[in-house]
Amino acid sequence: MITSLRRIRAIAGTTLIELARLRVFYVLVLFALVLIVSSTFLARISFQQELQVTKDISLGAINFFLSLLAIVATAQLLPRDIEDRVVYSVLAKPVPRFEYILGKFLGVVGLLAISLAAMSVLCLVVLHLREQSALHEVNRQIEQLAPDQLSSTVRVIHTAGVNRDLIAALVLVLAKSAILAATTLCISAFATSNIFTITAMAMVYLIGHLESIAREYWLQEHVAGWPKRTFLALVAFIFPDLQAFNLSDQVIGGVPIPAHLIEQLLGLAAFYIVSYILLATAIFYQREL
Amino acid sequence: MTHTAIHISRVTKVYRTPFRRQATVALRDLNLEIAPGEVYGLLGPNGSGKSTTLKIILGLISPTRGSVTIFGRDNSVVAARREIGFLPENAYFHKFLTGAETLRFHAKLCGLSKSKTTARINELLAAVGLTDAGDARLSTYSKGMLQRIGLAQALIHDPKLLVLDEPTAGVDPAGSRDIQELIASLKNRGTTVLLSSHLLTQVQEVCDRVGILHRGRLMREGQLQSLLGIENQTELILENASPDLLDGLEQQIASTSARLIVRRKPQASLEQLFLKVTESTEE
Repeated sequence: MITSLRRIRAIAGTTLIELARLRVFYVLVLFALVLIVSSTFLARISFQQELQVTKDISLGAINFFLSLLAIVATAQLLPRDIEDRVVYSVLAKPVPRFEYILGKFLGVVGLLAISLAAMSVLCLVVLHLREQSALHEVNRQIEQLAPDQLSSTVRVIHTAGVNRDLIAALVLVLAKSAILAATTLCISAFATSNIFTITAMAMVYLIGHLESIAREYWLQEHVAGWPKRTFLALVAFIFPDLQAFNLSDQVIGGVPIPAHLIEQLLGLAAFYIVSYILLATAIFYQREL
Repeated sequence: MTHTAIHISRVTKVYRTPFRRQATVALRDLNLEIAPGEVYGLLGPNGSGKSTTLKIILGLISPTRGSVTIFGRDNSVVAARREIGFLPENAYFHKFLTGAETLRFHAKLCGLSKSKTTARINELLAAVGLTDAGDARLSTYSKGMLQRIGLAQALIHDPKLLVLDEPTAGVDPAGSRDIQELIASLKNRGTTVLLSSHLLTQVQEVCDRVGILHRGRLMREGQLQSLLGIENQTELILENASPDLLDGLEQQIASTSARLIVRRKPQASLEQLFLKVTESTEE
């Protein structure tokens, strides 16, 4: 049977409405509060530091809230549908289970994209306003500054403010949270409770952020034998390296992010998402409803 | 070539619990054939295997042994479900959608074209008596209304086979009567209906054939008349018969080898009384 985009879109759309009704967007209000409160305290430090710290807090908060949203929103989708028997009326129609899983995943990605867009707009507006106020301050001091000093100060402000790398970092945050959503969907395809799924995902999250440190330690500090290398390769294959998607330090420090690195990371994200969705589908096909 | 609507061949279903030795046998060697256009009632107490049978037919669970075909197609093929409409027991749907939105969602799942969908939604809302509630969210629906919208979603793609799991559960007698009439009209249009129910009177009224499941086995199956008819008894219902005529008949019977078992006025069922009272109040 040919996969139907219309069916997938219908399931994704309904999933998005379902999640929106669960008031998960309250997370955005929380994000706005974090940003506003932190901005109030930052008013006392220099404008260059202020821009960098605002970026740091914003990226950290977006990263945290989007990851949380991806796990919590996805964890309850399949168990709820099975418990409410909604799944019966859907799968009794000519809907392959793959389309059902993919529709659910795309619904969550839609929610994540909307949330990221809202948080990013807020973050970019705050950063832009602070950048403008910093430039205004420099203009006021123009007579006291030498021409080369002036151009260097303006360059520093632009680097610390809104730029292409910040947008790239935000896209990678979305890719990371989409990986988390696919992984959560995979676990919830066989889990019998939300608590199990969320606990398992907390472990995946932890391993995903620590595996690169462990890998570096074992491969560089010690002379690793093949069992350790195989084990690390297996861990890297099963658990996505989530830390790789965190480019906050480079963005905040003004270190340019090469385009090929972004492409590689997006490719890696696509690999993990496709793998986990296929695995989730295979598990869900075996599940007795 | 005409295929049977449902063909179940030697189906056994065993549920195994992980880490436990014991297994539950939900169905044992079930054989069942339902002809196109037939209304078949699956009866049985709780845990007899009715829901398992329906889920296997719909491909929601796989049989441990045996096979099922729907109009000649293996039921595990997704395309076989194009012909099936299903109403689950105590159906829940997305409560944040309205009745019309629910039907639109299911129409998309069935691949109905946009141009046909709106007309079909209006037609079905009218058929199940929910025209006025079509724009209300399902969270505001009563249990009976949910059952009706469930029936409408099962019919959205005009299926050749309708599978109903306790279709009148939670529906009041008037609604229940409407559903019965709907099943009868579907039968007249050639739709095959398989229903499971605890309400034996209703099954008796709408079904051509019934099967009785008990502990996973099909204990009895056949046409209602042959299953329920008592061969050596005759029922005679008279209208406007005088007491003299009845006494005369009784005397005549007494002079033969036949035995009069009961002489009484036929009684309306409680359901008939309920419908008569409520319908006259509405008028």
